[in-house]
Amino acid sequence: MIARSLTWSRHNLFGKPFDVLLSLTVIPGTLWLIYQAVAWAVGMAQWDIIPQSLRVLMIGIFPADQAWRSWVAVAIIAALLGAALGCVFAFRTRHAGFLALVLAILVSMTGVNTLAALTAVLVIFASAWILTSYVPMSRRVLIPASFTGLIAIFAVMSPPGAGLWGGLLLSVLLTLVTAVLSLPIGVLLAFGRRSRFSSLRMISTAYIEVMRSVPLILVVYWIWILMPVLTPELNLADVVRGMVGFTLFYSAYVAEYVRSGLQAVPRGQTEAARSLGMSEFDINRSIVLPQALRVVVPPLVGNVLDIFNAAPLVFIIGLTDFLRAGQMILANPQYGNRTYEVYSFLFFTYFLVGSLITFVARKLEAHLARGSR
Amino acid sequence: MNTIVDMKNLNKFYGSHHVLKDVDLSVSRGEVVVVIGASGSGKSTLIRCVNGLEMYQNGSLLVDGYQMPVEEDRLLGGEKELVAIRKGVGMVFQQFNLFPHKTVVENITIAPMRVRKKSKDEAEATALKLLERVGLKAHAYKYPGQLSGGQQQRVAIARSLAMEPHLMLFDEPTSALDPEMIGEVLDVMRELAADGMTMMIVTHEMGFAREVADRIVYIDQGAILEIGKPDEFFDNPKNDRARSFLARVLKH
Ligand SMILES: Nc1ncnc2c1ncn2[C@@H]1O[C@H](COP(=O)(O)OP(=O)(O)OP(=O)(O)O)[C@@H](O)[C@H]1O
Ligand SMILES: [Mg+2]
Repeated sequence: MIARSLTWSRHNLFGKPFDVLLSLTVIPGTLWLIYQAVAWAVGMAQWDIIPQSLRVLMIGIFPADQAWRSWVAVAIIAALLGAALGCVFAFRTRHAGFLALVLAILVSMTGVNTLAALTAVLVIFASAWILTSYVPMSRRVLIPASFTGLIAIFAVMSPPGAGLWGGLLLSVLLTLVTAVLSLPIGVLLAFGRRSRFSSLRMISTAYIEVMRSVPLILVVYWIWILMPVLTPELNLADVVRGMVGFTLFYSAYVAEYVRSGLQAVPRGQTEAARSLGMSEFDINRSIVLPQALRVVVPPLVGNVLDIFNAAPLVFIIGLTDFLRAGQMILANPQYGNRTYEVYSFLFFTYFLVGSLITFVARKLEAHLARGSR
Repeated sequence: MNTIVDMKNLNKFYGSHHVLKDVDLSVSRGEVVVVIGASGSGKSTLIRCVNGLEMYQNGSLLVDGYQMPVEEDRLLGGEKELVAIRKGVGMVFQQFNLFPHKTVVENITIAPMRVRKKSKDEAEATALKLLERVGLKAHAYKYPGQLSGGQQQRVAIARSLAMEPHLMLFDEPTSALDPEMIGEVLDVMRELAADGMTMMIVTHEMGFAREVADRIVYIDQGAILEIGKPDEFFDNPKNDRARSFLARVLKH
């Protein structure tokens, strides 16, 4: 074993003179940085700020006595994510152990008073996962169920006032709503872009190209100032306007992914369906679209990660997302010297969510490649 | 009424490339017509015009009692006849073109259910009967990717038959197959011919052509140069180019 790793490092790290030089500077440098970071994290950092401000980080200024509403929202999100997962990866008993581990970590971070709620959420997640893993019929209701779920979240979260939404929950909700709504819009735009009616084609192309050539933050801001003018009677909350902006922006990107998928479907598929007498609508819906989506599922999952990482931009319209909630805590003079602790927590949470999504996308890619053989 | 396909002076262009030149051809019900010719001569284009996968620019084309609209009318939205024609005309492709995300049975039932509005049970019963006929009943619930080329092509034939077509078009149905699988597909086609199905077939299988065809159509550079009974055509072609074509393909 030691001999093996010695050979390995001899080949990979000390093979050529330049490698030696690079290794001799980079390896000690990295080790020193890690040592410093760990020394700080276990020696000097005062982590008590994280559990103390956890509620603000998670749900922002949402009233504490209404926190049960956010737990319901989290439970619904867990059900939807679990159900989506089950469509591609069947639940196995070893996953139960993994979930128990996640539960233990979360509880150790947040304290025992969340044990019951967290257990409930994970049980719901697992149940939805098991359901779609083993009852194929239930997969058909996934799309209507996710729309119903989103509406239910809005219904349960709205009474205290949508202006109070914040924290990690806001970031996740924004990501989820944008991901779910931009899919149908993106699909329509992609079909519009290759429609045989030139007016539709031009409108779709123009929309996609315009959205893709301006910054997200600008679109979000524009929509935020435009919506009250366009729909004065609705009096929409900032959160909703932000979600509209994100959805309109990311629909253009989804459209481009879907379009690349549509192009990957061989012409013969359409020709065969046409010669069976099927209508263009049926051909697109049942023959072309399912094959196109299969190809673009991995990039679409990557797109979800983009949305999540772009969510902090909603500070421009005055919302308190996860990152902003962290800054809000630091604005309290009492916590002024805890900057590194809070930002480390933010960094690791983003890193964790991001690598989880990337991991799922990788698995999905491998899974679909296997399935299409 | 006995004529199912009637082409008169049909012309087809790809841009300035004149691909079909004043084609006259009529096919009677129950007849098997085999189209042969060199690569690029326009065989595929000819039979793809019959179900409107390709558009023609001028001339006239009557299929199964409906007038196929010319390109100009189709681009202006005149496609009612097209739908009616396609319901009654099946087509089998060189590359099978089965739907890879659907099982064999779903491949066969989707058009009868969507186009002919049959119930799922009825469509599935028909599908299983057809699969039995092409010898693939055991594979009904597999996906196309799990079948061999010859099996896929037989499923494709069953899929077309499920729409109860009056006319079947075949565009080189065996050209993408390994030699040992050609026979099983040709057998199915032979049976169809014996059952009285009207067929237009493009093929390079000259022995099969001679055996099943009522008439052979020889096409060269987009023009029909000779139409004749198989024995006459193969033993004694009148056209010079047909003769040299046959000499080339029958030599080996
Ligand atoms: N989409 C297209 N655009 C332009 N030219 C085309 C197109 N499809 C076919 N052609 C041309 O039309 C002519 C006839 O083609 P077609 O496919 O009908 O020939 P074929 O007799 O079926 O040949 P093969 O035996 O190779 O299948 C060829 O010269 C070909 O290059
Ligand atoms: Mg051809």
